[in-house]
Amino acid sequence: MNGYAGRILRVNLTTGAITKEPTPPELARDFIGGRGFGIYLLLKEVPKGADPLGPQNKIFISSGPISGMMIPGGGKCDWTTKAPLTGGYASASMGGHFTAEMRYAGLDSIILEGISPKPVYLFIDNDKIELRDASDLWGKNTFMVEKQFKEKLGEEYQIAVIGPGGENLVPYACVNHDYGRQAGRGGVGAVMGSKKLKAIILHGTKSIPVADMTAYRKAGMALYKACKDAEGLKDWSRYGTTIVVSWCDEVGALPTRNFSAGSFENGKNLYAPVMREKIVITDKGCFGCPSPCGKYSRMKKYNSNVEGPEYETIGLCGSNLGIDDIESVAQANLLCDDLGIDTISAGNSIGWAMECYQKGIFTKKDTDGLDLTFGNVEAVFTLIEKIARREGFGALLSEGVKRASKKVGQGSEKFAIHVKGMEQSAYATHNATAMLLAYMTCDVGAHHNRAWAITYDLQVGRELVVPEKVARVIWLQNFRPMFDVIGGCRLQWVELSIDRELYVPALEAITGIHRSWEDLEKVGERIWNLTRLYWARENEDFGRVWDLPAPRFYEDAPTSGATKGQITKIEDVNLLLDMYYEQRGWTTDGLPKPETIESLGLKAVVA
Amino acid sequence: MTATIRLGASLKNLLGSQAEFIVEPGHKVRETLLLLGIKPELVAMVSVNDEMKDKDYIIQEGDALRLMAVIGGG
Repeated sequence: MNGYAGRILRVNLTTGAITKEPTPPELARDFIGGRGFGIYLLLKEVPKGADPLGPQNKIFISSGPISGMMIPGGGKCDWTTKAPLTGGYASASMGGHFTAEMRYAGLDSIILEGISPKPVYLFIDNDKIELRDASDLWGKNTFMVEKQFKEKLGEEYQIAVIGPGGENLVPYACVNHDYGRQAGRGGVGAVMGSKKLKAIILHGTKSIPVADMTAYRKAGMALYKACKDAEGLKDWSRYGTTIVVSWCDEVGALPTRNFSAGSFENGKNLYAPVMREKIVITDKGCFGCPSPCGKYSRMKKYNSNVEGPEYETIGLCGSNLGIDDIESVAQANLLCDDLGIDTISAGNSIGWAMECYQKGIFTKKDTDGLDLTFGNVEAVFTLIEKIARREGFGALLSEGVKRASKKVGQGSEKFAIHVKGMEQSAYATHNATAMLLAYMTCDVGAHHNRAWAITYDLQVGRELVVPEKVARVIWLQNFRPMFDVIGGCRLQWVELSIDRELYVPALEAITGIHRSWEDLEKVGERIWNLTRLYWARENEDFGRVWDLPAPRFYEDAPTSGATKGQITKIEDVNLLLDMYYEQRGWTTDGLPKPETIESLGLKAVVA
Repeated sequence: MTATIRLGASLKNLLGSQAEFIVEPGHKVRETLLLLGIKPELVAMVSVNDEMKDKDYIIQEGDALRLMAVIGGG
C-alpha cells in the first residue's frame, strides 16, 4: 500500500504479547492516518466506560502518509487515548524525529494495551521488538533517561519517555521526546504510566513505498522551495512562536494572572527580542523542517538549558503567574519537561491556586507554607515538583482546575479556566468571540491548535457574533487538524503562508490517491463528528453545558489592559453555540443528528 | 527621503492589499499603518532592517520594514 509502512504493531503489556497486523486498506482510505486512525481505533477498541488509567484503555500512536517523508514538517505523530484529564477524547500531536523512525521501522501505528506487572520499556529496532525491564529507570526524570539511551545506543535511536508525572498518574502528564518535544495534552503520559511503560525506543532502516517517485521528488521540492522563498522564514526561524507574545499583549490575549486580564504590565520582559538576546543559544527543528520554531535556551542564573520556552509556556508559566523574567519562565519550562507534566495545564493550575491565595481561599496552612503571591518564582518551582510527585498541596493541583475547584468550592469554580476539564491554553478570550468559540468546541477541551481565530476576530470585529465567524471556526476545525491526520506540521502553512495546494500533489504522489483539499476537509469533518460522538458515548450527561467557557469570560471583565471592561455576554455565548450546532448539523444540545451521521457515512463506524 | 514597508504573504493575503509601500520617515510605525489604512492590531510583527521592533518605533530614512500577520497561532 503506497504511502504506508503497512503494519500496525500491537503490544499487550499484560501478557507481553507482541504482534503485527496489516494496516487495513479501508482504514487508510477513509481516515488516512494520524488522528484519523486514532479516533477510529479508540471507538472500536476501547470499550464504553473504560477507566482511562485501567487495563481497558489503550494508546494509539499513529503516523500519517507524509510522516518521515521529504516533505516540510513531516515529523508529526498523533497519540490518541481516553483522557484521564477530561474523561473524553485525547489526541496529542508530537513533533521531533520519533514518527519518522517509527515509519522506518515499518510501522504506521503502535497500539499499547493492558498493564504490565512491572516497569518496562519497549525496544524497537526494525523487526527486533522487545519489552525490556525498566525497574532501574522508574522514578527517573525524562532528560536523564533519554540521555542514557542516546549515549548507549546512538543518536539515531528515538526515544519517547515519561517522567515522575506520568508514573504518578498526574492527569496532565505528558510524554517527552527529543529533550523538548511532547505529546503534551490530556494526560497521555499518565496512561503510559498506568501501563508501567516508561519509554519507547525506536530505530528503523526500512523504506516507505511511494506511488510515483518522480512526482514525489518534484512535489517535495516545490514545498521546500515555497518555504525557502517565504518572506516570513527569517523572522519565524529567528523567533518561532514567541513572535506572538508582544502582539497578544497588545491585543489583550496574553493570559495574565490567571486570565484576569489579557495584557501584562511587565510583558515587555517576555517579548521575543528579549528572549532571543538573553537566553536563546540556537534554533532547533523537527524532522525535515525548513523553519525551525524550537529555540534552545541557556539559563545562566540556574546553570541549565532547555528547548523553549515557546509561546504557550511563556503565557501560562510567565504572565499568567505574574512572572516577568524570561529566564525563570524557561526554568519552569525545564522543570515541567524533565518531570513530565504539561506546561499549559501546570501553569494554568498554579495560576488558579495563586488567585485562590490572593482571594484568601487558600492560606499558607493550605499550601504547605508556600507564599502563592503572583510572581513568586520559587513557589512556582516548588509547586511544579510537588504536582509531578503528587505531594502535599501539589496533589490537589495535579488534579487539574476542574476537579480541584470542585473540591475547594468557595466560588473558585468561577475562575477555573478550562473547557471540558482541560485547562485553557494561552489566549485570553474575554472579547474575541471566534477564538472563544474555538476553545468552547475544541474536541479535546480548551486547546488552541484545532482552530485559531483571533486574527479573524480582529479582522472582522472582535465582539461580533455572526454566522460567518462560526463558519470560519468550523472550517478551521475541519481543515487544520488534517495536518495531524497526514502526519505533518501545520506551521509551514499557517506561519509561512505557503500555498496549501502544494500538499495535494505531494500526498497524491506518495499514496497514489488524488485528494483535493475539499476531500481532505470532508475527512476532517467526519473525524470531528466522531470525536463528538466519543465524548457523548463516554459521558451520559454530555451536551451543551460541556461547551460553556469559564465564567471569567462572560462575567468578569479585566480591570486593565487592552480588553479592560470587556467580556462576551452569556447571551452571545449561547448564540454562538446555537449557530455552531446548526451549521454542524447537530441538535440544540450539541449532538450530531442521525441524518448528519448518515450523510457523513459514519453510521457503520459508530454502530 | 523614503523608507519601504513590505507586507509578508500572510498580511498581504489578509488585507488583500499590495505587497510594498514607499513611506515617509519620521513617523511611528503605528501612525504610518493607520495612514496606509492598515489596522495596527492585525500586524503581529514589525521587522526593521531585520530586527524586531515595536509599533512605536519611529521610521528612519532608508529603513526596510517587513510586517507579518499571524494567521495560525501555535
